[in-house]
Order: sequence, then C-alpha cells, then structure tokens
Amino acid sequence: MRGKVIAIHSSRGGTGKTVIATNLAATYANKGLNIALLDLDFRAPSLITVFSKGIRGPVKHWLNDFMNGRCTIDQALVDVSEEYGLKGRLLIGLANPTIDAIQNVMGKSRAWEVTAVKKLFSLRSTLFNNMNIDCCIFDTSPGIQYSSINAVISSDVSIIVTTLDSLDIKGVQRMLAEFYDAFEKRTVVLMNKVFPQTRIWSNGRQKEFINQMEKALKHPIIAVIPCYCDVLQAERASLLAIEKSGHPFLRTLQEVAKKLEH
Amino acid sequence: MAAVETSNKKSSTLDVNVLLKTLVDELNQVSKKLDSLVELNGKMLKMQEEFLQSITNKSSRRKAIEFEPDAMTLLSLPRSLRKTVMALYKVKEATAEDLSRETKRLRAVESASANQLVRMGLLKKKREGRKVYFYID
Repeated sequence: MRGKVIAIHSSRGGTGKTVIATNLAATYANKGLNIALLDLDFRAPSLITVFSKGIRGPVKHWLNDFMNGRCTIDQALVDVSEEYGLKGRLLIGLANPTIDAIQNVMGKSRAWEVTAVKKLFSLRSTLFNNMNIDCCIFDTSPGIQYSSINAVISSDVSIIVTTLDSLDIKGVQRMLAEFYDAFEKRTVVLMNKVFPQTRIWSNGRQKEFINQMEKALKHPIIAVIPCYCDVLQAERASLLAIEKSGHPFLRTLQEVAKKLEH
Repeated sequence: MAAVETSNKKSSTLDVNVLLKTLVDELNQVSKKLDSLVELNGKMLKMQEEFLQSITNKSSRRKAIEFEPDAMTLLSLPRSLRKTVMALYKVKEATAEDLSRETKRLRAVESASANQLVRMGLLKKKREGRKVYFYID
C-alpha cells in the first residue's frame, strides 16, 4: 500500500464520488494507515462541508494556494485524525469554496495546467518520503476537465464511480475508451447506488451482472454497492466510517480498500 | 543712354521676379513631396506595426494551442510520444537513458521520441558535459 495515489473520478456528478473518497480515506486511517485526502474539485469543493465538524478554526492555506505556489503541501493539509478518533493520520487538503477562488481556477492558462500536473507528481516525494503518508486519495471533479485529468494522470490507480443510469454508463464507456486507455492507467469501476429492487441482487445474478458489465466496459468492476437510503439521507457533514462502522456500505468499502492494497 | 539704362533696370527686376516666382513654385513642390513622403512613412510605420502585432498574436496563439504539454495536448499525441512526456512529468528532467528506465523501452526509442518532442516545442533539452537532459519547461 505504501506510496499509492488513488484518484476517485466519475463521468457525471452525483454518483457518490465524495462519499466513496471520504469513507475510503477514513477506512484506511481507521486501520492505522496515514492518509492524505485532497479535494481536487476546484470548481465545486465539497470536503470543506464533509469535514466541517473536524476542522478547528479558519483554514490558513487552501489546496489552491499550494497549486499556485503560495504554500507548501504540508501547510495546505489539515490534520483531522484526532477529531474523528482515527488510529492513523488523516490529513485533508481543502479546495477554496469562494467564488473568487473558483473564478481564478476557471481562468487558468494551459501553461498553468502543465505546472499543476508537475505539482501533483511532485507531491509524491513530499507526502511519501517526508511526511510518512501511506496513501494519497484525490477526490476529483466529474467528467473530462483539467482538474480531473491532471489528477488521473498523476495517480497510480483510478476508481470510476458510476450508477446504473444509462447516461452514466455511456459516459464511463466513452471516458474509458477515449481517455483512460490513452494514458494506460490501472482503472477499476465501482458501481454505486444500485437499486435494491434490481434483479441482480437475487442469488447468483450478481456475478453474472458483474461479468456483463466488465465485458461492456472492458475494465474490472471492483464492487457493486446497493443504494442505501440511510447513506443518501445521512448528513453531508458526517463520516459514515466513524458513525456507522458496521454498515454494509462500509463493509463493501473495506473490501474495496483491501483489493486496492495490492 | 538714360532710356537704355531704364530698360536694363526693368529687365533685371523682371528676371529677379521670375526667378523668385520659379523658386517659390519649386519650394512648394518640394514641400508637397516632403508632405507625401511623411504621409507615406506614417503609413509604412502603421503597416509595420500591424504586421508585427499579427506575428505576435499568431505566435502566442500557436504557443497556447500547440506548445504546452498539458493533459489535453497529451491526449492528441501519438501513444509513443505521450509515454515519454508522462515519464518526464515523473522525473522532471532526464537523459534518454533515464527515460528508457522509466518507460521500459529502448534508449534509442526514447532518444528519438524526446527529440521529436523537442522539435515540436513540447520539451526542452540542455547539454551538461556529455549528457543531454530533456525537460518540460
């Protein structure tokens, strides 16, 4: 597991990317690993809301500051391990949610994007060698845009989170064929919010369904997670991995975490 | 005798008048020519300025569209070249030998690929002693 960068991506918004990213990070940290979780969705930051209960005082440095060369990565990371009682360390890098910061990111040049990729690649040595981090997780923006592409090409493995919605599936198919295959990155697909009424949950059907999906997407399916009403209804500023540790949603995520270790 | 003198005086005054008139006409023509030269020079300077402006715009536009090895540009590159740029993102600067270790391809393949990228303006190279280093500017 040591020194792995995982990007959580999706073709469209609302697939549960941030819930997967935050709870995967908390799952690893609960196992005693040191994790850095970075919000690379600069256009629609969300970690600031999810971790609002765990952040003490005003944020001094945003991830935007690090990308703009105004601070180092260790200055842009907030340690929330103590607040959530985690065994390992969980450091989060927050994207600035103000309109000014979002506008600033939207106006960046292509030359700046080159520097951004270099920065993301250079993170590795600081995080893994100097800060004793075991794994870094990128929560990216949906679809093909610079922030998500930069995150994906600088990661070791990507998890594409999708629902069974045909728009999602078609989008994932296109992304895999036109983007992921070009960069030859290890990529797995996580099917989330699959309706419990769907016949795939009946005996033996799940394996058949996974085979069909893997054939259609030409990439492995790492997990199929049912749509849990309580997960959807849970307050955004909550970490299920801490508050509902025995939840089947988390048991599946623990299996995902284990598979990604290899 | 007196009449001859008067006639000579009149004639020389006439000559001077004609001469002066001719001189004024000539000067007017020179002035007009100078005016048109100044106007022409102004037009040429303006055209030169516009030409330089268009060149600057073109080169900056070309730079923005073609000469940045950003993620979108990488997508449009052939696989072999993309692999070299990706390796350089990781190692910052590298010789063809270093790149071949990263991509697990032959050194000659990396050398050809990196030099092609230099010609395309996507990479830079520098010589240090006997070694040539490639890097993303």
